[in-house]
Amino acid sequence: MKVLLWKDNRKNIANILRGGSLKYAVDFAIATHDLTEGYVSPDGKNFSLKVKITEISKYSDSPDLVKKKKSDLKTILTIESAVEVNPKPLSDFKLSSKGKKEVTDHATAELLEIEGEHLKGLIENIPANVRKIMDTAKEMHFELPLSVAEKVQEIRDGLTDSQFKRLMQRIKIDIDSKTIDPYEAVGIIAAQSIGEPGTQMTMRTFHFAGVREMNVTLGLPRLIEIVDARRIPTTPSMVIHLKKGVERDQKVVTSVIKELENTTLLDVSEIITDVENQTLSVAPNKERMQERLVNFDDILSALDSVKQVTLKPDNSSQTVEVKPQQESFRKLYLVQEQLKALTIKGIPGIKRAIARADRETGEYILYTQGSNLKEVLQLENVDPYTTYTNDIIEIATVLGIEAAREAVFQESERTLQEQGLEVDRRHLMLVADMMSFTGTVRAVGRQGISGRKSSVLARAAFEITTKHLLRAGLLGEIDFLSGVAENIIVGQPVTLGTGSVNLVYRGPKKE
Amino acid sequence: MARFNVLKHELVPEHQIVDAKEEEMILRDLNITKELLPKINRNDPSIKALEDIHGPIKSGTIIRIVRKSKTAGVSVYYRVVESGVFK
Repeated sequence: MKVLLWKDNRKNIANILRGGSLKYAVDFAIATHDLTEGYVSPDGKNFSLKVKITEISKYSDSPDLVKKKKSDLKTILTIESAVEVNPKPLSDFKLSSKGKKEVTDHATAELLEIEGEHLKGLIENIPANVRKIMDTAKEMHFELPLSVAEKVQEIRDGLTDSQFKRLMQRIKIDIDSKTIDPYEAVGIIAAQSIGEPGTQMTMRTFHFAGVREMNVTLGLPRLIEIVDARRIPTTPSMVIHLKKGVERDQKVVTSVIKELENTTLLDVSEIITDVENQTLSVAPNKERMQERLVNFDDILSALDSVKQVTLKPDNSSQTVEVKPQQESFRKLYLVQEQLKALTIKGIPGIKRAIARADRETGEYILYTQGSNLKEVLQLENVDPYTTYTNDIIEIATVLGIEAAREAVFQESERTLQEQGLEVDRRHLMLVADMMSFTGTVRAVGRQGISGRKSSVLARAAFEITTKHLLRAGLLGEIDFLSGVAENIIVGQPVTLGTGSVNLVYRGPKKE
Repeated sequence: MARFNVLKHELVPEHQIVDAKEEEMILRDLNITKELLPKINRNDPSIKALEDIHGPIKSGTIIRIVRKSKTAGVSVYYRVVESGVFK
């Protein structure tokens, strides 16, 4: 659907919103007249006002007009209704002129619809016969996991009804005996179960087998990193899959790598400053250019964006002479600095990208050094639904908290598995759940989970004792002594297991 | 061409909006008040994507999350939409 986008000041936006239906005069001419919807933005980047347009006509003065400006008006938009919506970023629209970062005045664009509703329907898709078994379990007052129910279904036909009933009873006893009891200290068990194998982990980083210049943090350092919820991991990296149909196409792979790798001018060429003639000469290095998949034209087009300089390309020796229009040492220095940081191509943050073909399927998978999930997902040939990064905080901001929880779980499990250690998944799930239950990824430790406990004494027992006690004293905090640590401090039975219930015994009445 | 839908990403489990009637049942089942449920931020990308499909979501709405679990096959989790900043 084609929509009209324009930039307007806040006063006018408020006027449109208040007016509801009105005739609005704007200062630009519109070529197409079949537009029915428009979006207005105060900054040209995020569009927060949606208007319904019923008519577009040429400007002629009349008293009931609401005007955008005092003069130079060209078109009248008849606005039927206006509503405030969640700000839509410019990436939600497909502009006719590509690569624009903002709308400076007005533009017509295609509103991109969100791709189909995601309905995996995991629960709805459970086969009826498996569901029946789960329902039987419910009647017997216990919850049967799907994975077990599927296995029971496989052998269901070979069983008589009474045998089936006996089987279900056995399962119930088994599940009941293996379920964690109420008030069991699961956190401590998880901590020990992860901590003990942790002592056997290596402290080194290994090199990615067969791939040059690429290594990934593994072992204990990586586990600490996950649990600390670091902003940026020491070795951020991505695994990028290509869209169906092009995953074996070598040409596409090369072009995607070219789009990915962030290359600056300094990466592929030498910049020589000639103080006498007040010029800078850019001398590209052929070998490095080939390595980075850059050609001379790429460099030229990148240099075109530098302002207030004259370019003198020399095609025979493949060098460019850059001369600032204004002759001064200061300007020369500024241009030199600008050239050093000039990006020729690529996505910021991604240093290298390497393609490897899967031995069995022949599908190319790209591995990168550096990570920038948001931008990579927008590339044309990249399959956005399977692309993965090891930066958990980035996943939380781009894909949401649930994806981050899954990433914490997967990453920690993989880290342990790579070292040949087996830790029960449920312990890692508990850690992942604890880290994500507030809606943001929190670290395990002083700034995170332990530092946010509700009990003052428990916090003081963990780290920075004086700070917590002093603060609690100043604010008059109350400790309900409901946790474990605080009860140990005051010398009471802890609230675990039998210590967590209060029993009152009333003996038989004396006659 | 269509816009990328966060909810279809491999890492993101199923998110469903729970209606008011069901909400009561869930809270009774869990024997819990709403404030004790895990939170999800209103500005979370998955909530934004749900809003694009189903219209605005008020804070206080319960979201049912159906995860593929390696231990139980399928596991159900609930989060309540919260507008507040990190507490």
